[in-house]
Amino acid sequence: MANELTEFVLVSVALLGIGIYGLAVKRNFIRMLFAVEIVINAANLNMVAFGRFLPHSGGQTLALFSIAIAAAEVAVGLSLIIVAYRMYHNIDIADYRSLKG
Amino acid sequence: MIEISSTPIAIIIILGIAGVVLPVINVIRKEKGSNSFYAAIAFAALIISIAYVGYQFITENILPSALFSEDVIIDDAFGGFFAIAMLIVAIFTTVGSFNFMRKQNYPAIYYSLILLSTIGMVLIAYSTDLIMLFVAWELMSIPTYALVGFIKKNPQSNEAALKYFLFGALSSAIIVYGISITYGITGSTNIGEVIQGYSNLDPGLVPLALLSMGMFIAGFGFKMGLVPFHQWLPDTYEGAPPTITTLLAAGTKKAGFAATIRIVVLGMVVLNLDWTLALGILAIMTMTIGNIAAIMQKNLSRMLAYSSIAHAGYILIGLAVAPHSSLGLQGSLYQILNHAVMKGMAFIAVAGIVTTLAVTNLDKLKGLGRRMPITSLGLVISLLALAGVPPLAGFWSKLMLFGGALDATPALWWAPWLAIAGVLNSALSLAYYGWIMRRMYFEGETEKRVSEPKSVIAVMIFSIIFLVGFGVYPDPVIKFVEFATPVISNGFMP
Repeated sequence: MANELTEFVLVSVALLGIGIYGLAVKRNFIRMLFAVEIVINAANLNMVAFGRFLPHSGGQTLALFSIAIAAAEVAVGLSLIIVAYRMYHNIDIADYRSLKG
Repeated sequence: MIEISSTPIAIIIILGIAGVVLPVINVIRKEKGSNSFYAAIAFAALIISIAYVGYQFITENILPSALFSEDVIIDDAFGGFFAIAMLIVAIFTTVGSFNFMRKQNYPAIYYSLILLSTIGMVLIAYSTDLIMLFVAWELMSIPTYALVGFIKKNPQSNEAALKYFLFGALSSAIIVYGISITYGITGSTNIGEVIQGYSNLDPGLVPLALLSMGMFIAGFGFKMGLVPFHQWLPDTYEGAPPTITTLLAAGTKKAGFAATIRIVVLGMVVLNLDWTLALGILAIMTMTIGNIAAIMQKNLSRMLAYSSIAHAGYILIGLAVAPHSSLGLQGSLYQILNHAVMKGMAFIAVAGIVTTLAVTNLDKLKGLGRRMPITSLGLVISLLALAGVPPLAGFWSKLMLFGGALDATPALWWAPWLAIAGVLNSALSLAYYGWIMRRMYFEGETEKRVSEPKSVIAVMIFSIIFLVGFGVYPDPVIKFVEFATPVISNGFMP
């Protein structure tokens, strides 16, 4: 059993790495949003895996909360992206330069 | 067991009903322009909530500051303290928005989002369970993403919202990951049980515990504006509607500190590490970089944004020395309350300037002292209080913070350097605050006085009374802060 838990956690850490890499490298807004989603899903995988190996179901509950909240977050993010697309006809973050210090 | 009359539940019910009912009324009435009606409902709900918190304090229905509970929330003085600070900020935002929202569409949704975000901020300070904390964190964040981008036709507002959204979503993703690791190694999400699990942890798991603490610091640090995580902050504060900047700078930032005190400070004490040095270095970096960057700014909102980064550094001093000096943590809480009022007031003044004159560039503020005397007076007092000039409230909180750093000296040889850095930074900040004041009063031709928004004047007068009154007579607030500060020493285990 313990071996399987390690495998789940390794997958989750790999997903975390992919998500952070995507955020650092990509400049397309939707891709960056996907990268954030991958990080959240890595955490969800972690929680479900831990919940499977612990004697109670707190992990699954937490994962359900986190999925629902992530959906709400993505809805707001996509609506912001739509507004930006109407203004710029482009969702490349390198083109947004109206604010500078 | 939490009862329905307890403070957090009552606040959820009052603000939640008002927040949900506002858009419904808007749909039923089918008209766009009645800004004052919706503002009045939101204002009434906030006043009732803050009165209820005050009533609970006066009748002593609130527990002294406890850190743990079996439930997901606890009705204690720590939460009550933050609830009062957050509700003051929300009232400032609602009142200050009154003139700003006259020219905008959809006032009902705007005020409703402010109320929902306020529930989130208040609940963060009350929560004693990681699930509750995360839900409250998102309840605070998601409405503010929409609020920052509220002026849809304005590219700056939209860009600010996109940046804020990306960093905010990343920070909550990191927090969830930290929670998942914490849950995995301790088998619980209740903060009390987590702390207990940490205290007798298998030595092989300690690096994982450290990783989760680092993730909490990073995740909360994004919202608090600590230095390696601060890049989004000036852009967002500049591009957002100025009233919403008030909510961000004075509200969501403080909620991050509440969460940090609830989890990170305790967890680190139990893990028995020399983490104080790490937080101390973060504090010094944050205040120095914030102040130096602020000097170079040409835009008032941006300068205040960097100054609020610097203030996160001051508050962090108290958290860094918390295990060795309760005075430091009290100073942090006091500074949090003062900073909420001072920064809230400064950004509402900026909102007033933007709505009447539509400028934020520092060069165009010449002669502002004659054009908008009351707003300028409020801005000057808030800047002096931010710098920590003696007769104002900001002085006492800084004194307590730096005193706390000195107090911790027997245990931490480098703690006096925190106080020295803080004093030097305050002097540095006075330089650019002084520059703003010189622009406002000693430059420019005599220009005609313009009529100032009444709502802004109301906020200015309230905060001037607060800052000067509690600056001259600080005893009641200091007693309140002492009551609200949790005791972190050897005997705090659940």
